[in-house]
Amino acid sequence: MSRRRAGLALRYLLAVPLAAAFLFPFYWMLVLSLNRPDAILEFPPRLWPQWQIQNYVEVWRFVNWPGLFANTVLTTAGRVLLVLVTSTLAGYAFASMRFVGKAAAFGLVLAVYMVPTEVTLVPNYITLSHLGWLDSYQAQFVPLAASVFGIFLMRQYFLTLPKDLWEAAQLDGCGHLRYLWSIAAPLARPALVTIALLQFIEGWNAFLWPLIVTSTDRVRPLQVGLAAFSFTDSTRPELLAAGAFMTTLPILIVFLIAQRQLVGGIASTGIRG
Amino acid sequence: MDPSAPIATSPAVAARGGGRPAVRASFGGYAFIAPAFLVLLAFLLVPAVWVFGLSLFRWDLIANNPTFVGLANFERLLLRDDLWWQSVRQTVYYTAVAVPAGMALGLLLAVLLDAKLPGRHLLRGAVFAPYVTPFVATIVIWIWIFNPDYGVLNALLGALHLPRPGWTHSPDWIMPAIIIYGIWQHTGLNLVIYLAGLANIPADLQEAARVDGAGPWRVFWRITWPLLSPTTYFLLFINLIGSFKVTVPVYVFTDNTGGPDQAAETIGFYLYQQAFAFFHAGYAGAISVAFFLLILAITGIQMRFASRRVFYT
Repeated sequence: MSRRRAGLALRYLLAVPLAAAFLFPFYWMLVLSLNRPDAILEFPPRLWPQWQIQNYVEVWRFVNWPGLFANTVLTTAGRVLLVLVTSTLAGYAFASMRFVGKAAAFGLVLAVYMVPTEVTLVPNYITLSHLGWLDSYQAQFVPLAASVFGIFLMRQYFLTLPKDLWEAAQLDGCGHLRYLWSIAAPLARPALVTIALLQFIEGWNAFLWPLIVTSTDRVRPLQVGLAAFSFTDSTRPELLAAGAFMTTLPILIVFLIAQRQLVGGIASTGIRG
Repeated sequence: MDPSAPIATSPAVAARGGGRPAVRASFGGYAFIAPAFLVLLAFLLVPAVWVFGLSLFRWDLIANNPTFVGLANFERLLLRDDLWWQSVRQTVYYTAVAVPAGMALGLLLAVLLDAKLPGRHLLRGAVFAPYVTPFVATIVIWIWIFNPDYGVLNALLGALHLPRPGWTHSPDWIMPAIIIYGIWQHTGLNLVIYLAGLANIPADLQEAARVDGAGPWRVFWRITWPLLSPTTYFLLFINLIGSFKVTVPVYVFTDNTGGPDQAAETIGFYLYQQAFAFFHAGYAGAISVAFFLLILAITGIQMRFASRRVFYT
């Protein structure tokens, strides 16, 4: 028994400092964001916050946070909703409907999985400029409105539903769409939640694509605005840190609430989204 | 282009309509997959093919005047472009350090946190949190952590009487800085996937070995590590692909410059710059093709290798 206790102590001795090291940058984000101006130039740096809460007010003078925040919410919501719809419909079709070329179509979906999104940046940019979509909201989520993982997960889920359910619904004169909407989709809620969580994270954190297709603060998301602020004004790191903390907080909250579903969803794919 | 439009064709009616020919009965299924297919075709599959055509043109994104130049872009890329080869070298450097280090750290933490340790969810959460937080928000903090003159990291190194590198200000240290960030950001993924792998190992196997007198070290190398090999190969694959794509950290850490002496130039960042800083769409297309082939090669090697080695004896 004492050997087991020694083993436990050894685990803590290694794991706690490592975990603390992983958390430190978040703590540092908070400390920097509460620093007085010029505190950043002190060396060695102060390890405790100075509680300069007004930084969180002052940073609003430099960047239009409410606008950027609204843009992020809008594009993220658009992405989550569209991916849920396209994944549910396609996942259902692949699980429960019969149509010519189904296997080939599913193979195509899986093949698309191999395409790194980086190679689509330039062609997609050209497509969007032809559509007149540059610097718009839809440019930021319509190209990402379908997820191979989402389709796959929904299909797996629908495959587990008992066949009698559909047969009973059919006898009641239920078509595929009504059956899906009122019976199958509600039963697949765990899968829908997983997809929504992953898409929320991806949408909220999106940076490279919005950076490429947006050019004004009118439609820009938080992350792009934050990077612009970081590049143009490096003299006020405490304000930058306050901005960084505000843009991270929603993610941290969702993470704390839904850690298990999120980790489970990511562990089952190895990718975000 | 509205992906929800095809739903309006009432797939339910089409499906029940049950016309004799099979294709007719298929309309319902087609209508259901249409929204997802439109998006995947228009924004992934077609671009992936189109980019090969694009690479044969000189195409300025601003002037928008594509001129067919054959393989000239590839000739320049492979034979005369030092910056491209620099980006390949730095990408390989990043991958060669960040992937093994991140996987080893993830495995170590998974083994430590696998037991019924009180507080393990908190500890796992701490390691995993960086993986889901935004790149930009965390990198701007890391830039200050790495600051050579005022940063907390160099304060620590100084206190330990260790050399204080120039980090993001130095051509030799900017890659290590980005690699450290990458490991910090990515270890959580390795941790949770290794934890899932460990959960699949039957506990009685390790128990039996212990009863036979094997110490924890021996149990790990003789039982756990071989049984984890499918997880390790899966992780190696997604880590390799992921690290070959490293772009955003370079962009943010170097202020969109590629770092001092272009020391942090990676393939992804070079592609971004050619396309969206210099507007060389055709040349960026050639870089995309080279990058695509590289990724496919890794995938191919991985698949061959995995199918042979993944089974334990």
